[in-house]
Amino acid sequence: MLNRKRRTALSAPKATHDYTPGEVVAAVEFVKRTRAELRTLRKVRVWKDKLHIIDVNKDYFEVRGLGYPDADVVPVLKQINTAFNPDTIHNPVDLDYKEFDTGRRHPWAEDRVM
Amino acid sequence: MIQTNGTSTKAPSMNEATPKDPFNNNCYGTIVDSGYKLISLPVLDVTDFNERIIRGYEEGWGERDLPADLSVARSLIPAGTASLRDFSNIAPEIPEYIPENCTGCMDCVTECPDTAILGKVLSESEWSKKMQTIPEGDREMFSKQWSKTKKYYDAGKKKLGDGGMFNIIIDPSKCKGCAECVTVCDDDALKMIPKTDQVMIDSRKSHRYFKNIGPSDNKYINDNLLIDMMLKEETHIYTGGAGSCAGCGEGTALRMMCAATGSKYGDQWGLVAATGCNTVYTSTYPYNPYLVPWTNSLFENAPADAIGVRMRWDQMGWHDKPIWCIGGDGAMFDIGFQALSRLFASGMNVKVFVLDTQVYSNTGGQASTSTYTGQNTKMSVHGKAVGGKQERRKEIAQIAIMHPRTYVAQTTCAHVNHFYKSVLGALEFDGPALVVCYTTCQPEHGVADNMAGEQARLAVDSRAFPILIYDPRKGDKVKERLSLVGNPAVKDDWFVNPKTKEPVTFIDFARSEGRFAKHFDKDGNPSETLERAKQDRLENWHLLQELAGLR
Ligand SMILES: Cc1ncc(C[n+]2csc(CCOP(=O)(O)OP(=O)(O)O)c2C)c(N)n1
Ligand code: SF4
Ligand code: SF4
Ligand code: SF4
Repeated sequence: MLNRKRRTALSAPKATHDYTPGEVVAAVEFVKRTRAELRTLRKVRVWKDKLHIIDVNKDYFEVRGLGYPDADVVPVLKQINTAFNPDTIHNPVDLDYKEFDTGRRHPWAEDRVM
Repeated sequence: MIQTNGTSTKAPSMNEATPKDPFNNNCYGTIVDSGYKLISLPVLDVTDFNERIIRGYEEGWGERDLPADLSVARSLIPAGTASLRDFSNIAPEIPEYIPENCTGCMDCVTECPDTAILGKVLSESEWSKKMQTIPEGDREMFSKQWSKTKKYYDAGKKKLGDGGMFNIIIDPSKCKGCAECVTVCDDDALKMIPKTDQVMIDSRKSHRYFKNIGPSDNKYINDNLLIDMMLKEETHIYTGGAGSCAGCGEGTALRMMCAATGSKYGDQWGLVAATGCNTVYTSTYPYNPYLVPWTNSLFENAPADAIGVRMRWDQMGWHDKPIWCIGGDGAMFDIGFQALSRLFASGMNVKVFVLDTQVYSNTGGQASTSTYTGQNTKMSVHGKAVGGKQERRKEIAQIAIMHPRTYVAQTTCAHVNHFYKSVLGALEFDGPALVVCYTTCQPEHGVADNMAGEQARLAVDSRAFPILIYDPRKGDKVKERLSLVGNPAVKDDWFVNPKTKEPVTFIDFARSEGRFAKHFDKDGNPSETLERAKQDRLENWHLLQELAGLR
């Protein structure tokens, strides 16, 4: 029983990575780590110049300097099973950021029946 | 003392605290405690069943040592025995409630597949008195879990002069840690935390105090606000303790259907189930989550079985007691289809509820006629030559509409009002009714445990699964009877997602689920089959728009 507070913006990121152009491998490695250090991933938000990988508790990791206009955003989004359309991901948009889901898994026994 | 076999004279009742369950979380009653649900049958002694047979299974010796006596040999199970099942140790994490952020929306309570997160509202004056009954050492821990929401506190103060204190509590003996509740909470009022010893002690105690302090105060429950129905004990017809996978979409669907029916009929109604996941997780001996009578005959004959039960109940003068016939898409679209059609043609007062996972979930994921084009299933394996299922999905709702005077709805648990209206409409209708509910099957769809609601919403947004209500009482033209209200951008081909400004098509839905993953090349381009699936869904949507007079 505490005072009411409206939902606030996300707090500080749990960790950050500064993307250097051409160094996508380092960005992907950083994102791989989010798998272990965050809980079940929920959403990815991509700005023009940064992205957030957000888990079910709304804890998140931030990649700075990499946004939807960059070609290098694609391998990063793929690494965490983001449901985005590669044909339109780089398009400019009249929004602060684009938001995508990331809940995909392998179906049961997919590897065994193939 | 708890003995390890046979009858025990000194052991506490299974419905009381035991050394293994020190705060008695594992017990009957959802919002308040209750006794066993006794019946008078010569072949089933409920108290003996719970004290001896359930004890045997909970202590781990039942399967090996119980004699095949009258009860055991018949596989009869009393109502609600799943209440005594302990799931405390199956998940590493449990939700934590953050009362200062809560708005009292009840989404978490509604969407949990396992009746493991519960709500309560008490007037502030009564609440203050009740808090004095909590042991002093725990009073602060418990009282700070109550929230002053606008919905109950401010509005209650204004209208009734006394604000409603609102509480959300987790039943740690039933929670499977799926995080569905956290995902549906838009207000950051829940988060998952590790189950440390202290977390579990506090959680067990809180759930115990929650049950001890009595029911919600009905003056805060607005009967027109359907989402609030789960504040009432009589809606919890489906208890926790069923054996479904963590986050199973079917569990939520059955719970919500039971809640809506319970809100009108209490426990005076029955269920006839077709074999499938639903029958397995609700009758894995000796655990049964239903508080109403339930029967299962076969995979293929549930509607015929339901016709028989209806006839007998009518002979007994039980015309007013509804019967729900439930089954998966395999049971209703495929093997039980002619029995279903016969039921609709009979005009009999039986309601049918389909758990549409678009696959035979129980037997490991074979294709049904409900399976989407392109879907990777065990009978339409995605390989080099053939990319998943090649046929189109059959639409059982449209087929049912063409039967004489049949009420039909298609809905999802993520569309709470639409869901409840569909189910209550079916119950009010004097004749046969069909409610088809989209339900995720986590392992077969290839989605995370917390995604049931999100994926159901996306299925509707992408026209994969349009929602509808067809009520024959609404007029004599199809367009007067059929409503597509609830689908986004109902007059357009596709809905445009405001968060990406892009149209949401079947391909976008497919991108988010593992069952379609093989249709995308390494650059993320969809296959030709998936383009066909998208066209199929658009044609289906156009047909519905046309029938509803929107095209
Ligand atoms: C005549 C017959 N064939 C096969 C089975 C095995 N079987 C049991 S459940 C099931 C599939 C159920 O699928 P569905 O109706 O879609 O329900 P779900 O498990 O997906 O909820 C099958 C094939 C059976 N019980 N009876
Ligand atoms: S984590 Fe899942 S099972 Fe537990 S309370 Fe939340 S929705 Fe229910
Ligand atoms: S979903 Fe969140 S805001 Fe709504 S009642 Fe549950 S905890 Fe409160
Ligand atoms: S296999 Fe699918 S439908 Fe069956 S219990 Fe698990 S999630 Fe639910």
